[in-house]
Amino acid sequence: MRRAKGGLESEVLAALWAAETALTPAEVVDAIGGDLAYTTVQTILVRLHAKGAVAREQSGRAYAYTPVLDDAGLAADRMQALLDKGGDHVAVLRQFVNTLSPEDETALADLLTRRQDHR
Amino acid sequence: MTTYLPLLLSALFALAAPALARRLPPHVATWLLSGGGLVAAAASSASLALLAFDGFAQAPLLASRGQWSGSVLRHHDPSAVPVGIAATVAVCVLALRFLRIAGRRLAALLGAHRLAAALPATGELAVLRSPDRQAFAVPGRPGRIAVTTGLLRGLDGGQRRALLEHERSHLRHRHHLHHTACQLAAAVNPLLCRLIPAVEQTTERWADEDAASVCPRGTVAGALSRAATGNRPAAPATVLAAAAADVADRIGALGDPAPRLTWWRIGLPAGLLLAAALAVAVAMRDTEQLIELAERAYLAGQR
Repeated sequence: MRRAKGGLESEVLAALWAAETALTPAEVVDAIGGDLAYTTVQTILVRLHAKGAVAREQSGRAYAYTPVLDDAGLAADRMQALLDKGGDHVAVLRQFVNTLSPEDETALADLLTRRQDHR
Repeated sequence: MTTYLPLLLSALFALAAPALARRLPPHVATWLLSGGGLVAAAASSASLALLAFDGFAQAPLLASRGQWSGSVLRHHDPSAVPVGIAATVAVCVLALRFLRIAGRRLAALLGAHRLAAALPATGELAVLRSPDRQAFAVPGRPGRIAVTTGLLRGLDGGQRRALLEHERSHLRHRHHLHHTACQLAAAVNPLLCRLIPAVEQTTERWADEDAASVCPRGTVAGALSRAATGNRPAAPATVLAAAAADVADRIGALGDPAPRLTWWRIGLPAGLLLAAALAVAVAMRDTEQLIELAERAYLAGQR
């Protein structure tokens, strides 16, 4: 699979944030989907650690990594506050998907299952 | 009559927008609708300005200043004055509307740039600690991707890759500028307001297709439906129905093969825009010739 330049770092970081516990490089490889080489992931983790984006602790023979809540996280919280305020942000900050109500969710789920039935 | 043609053609272009958004490859549709919207807005503004001028040209004050005969113009087009007054009012209202919307848009873009710059350089990804499922692209230099922990935890590895690539696509292709172009076009020509939701849809589809180039289409669809459901903040009731249809459309489009380019679907709207531009040129030449006629009559009257 083709990947964007610099995208691997985000992917590793996203996997660490998604995990409830600290992850070893092998666990990160699994969390990403298993199609990356162990050494690649390890290199990225070391680089992220050098940048201060992740913390690590000894876990058996390997290190286990956790994401660090840095200033980026705090700024992101400010952004969340901005989003809550409303306004033109929707046009500037593209949302991955729009907000759905419970009824909309049901309608969407119905649509999806109907689609699958047609197959 | 040619002076009114750009107004009519821009309305037709806007009417075709939703169908074009659905049927053309999303990147082609985005460029066609945002670029075409600017052309249509320019053409309709020019024709309104021309209608206003045609009315004012008959006013005795302007006629004597310009040294042409107002009565010749009046004889040629008796309805020009009321139309000109209406056009002048429209031009003023739309100019104010343009300034207001452009100002608001500029403030929003600057705000996004400030936010993107406020995020320290740990990379493109900023994680928001929140149980909500949200993801945004923040345009800036460089742009940033913001994702909530709630959404990251709801996705598997492949789906997270799809999500990141989707947001990256928004930044890489500067989708916010296409939105801005449509908002400005609709500001000076409200007939074009249908372009805004159409281009929002095509840019989302464009980003979905880019995500589908790094992972299977089913994975992108899975990420979308996961993100659309679950713990989400409340939003005004009016946007909800459209939102559900929007996500369902996008998931449906991912179930089909990527749309193919059909030339007549570009040729038809491009023809409309070309006709609008030509109509402006013809109407300007007509006015010019009429004024020349009135100038000759004025000079004859002086002798």
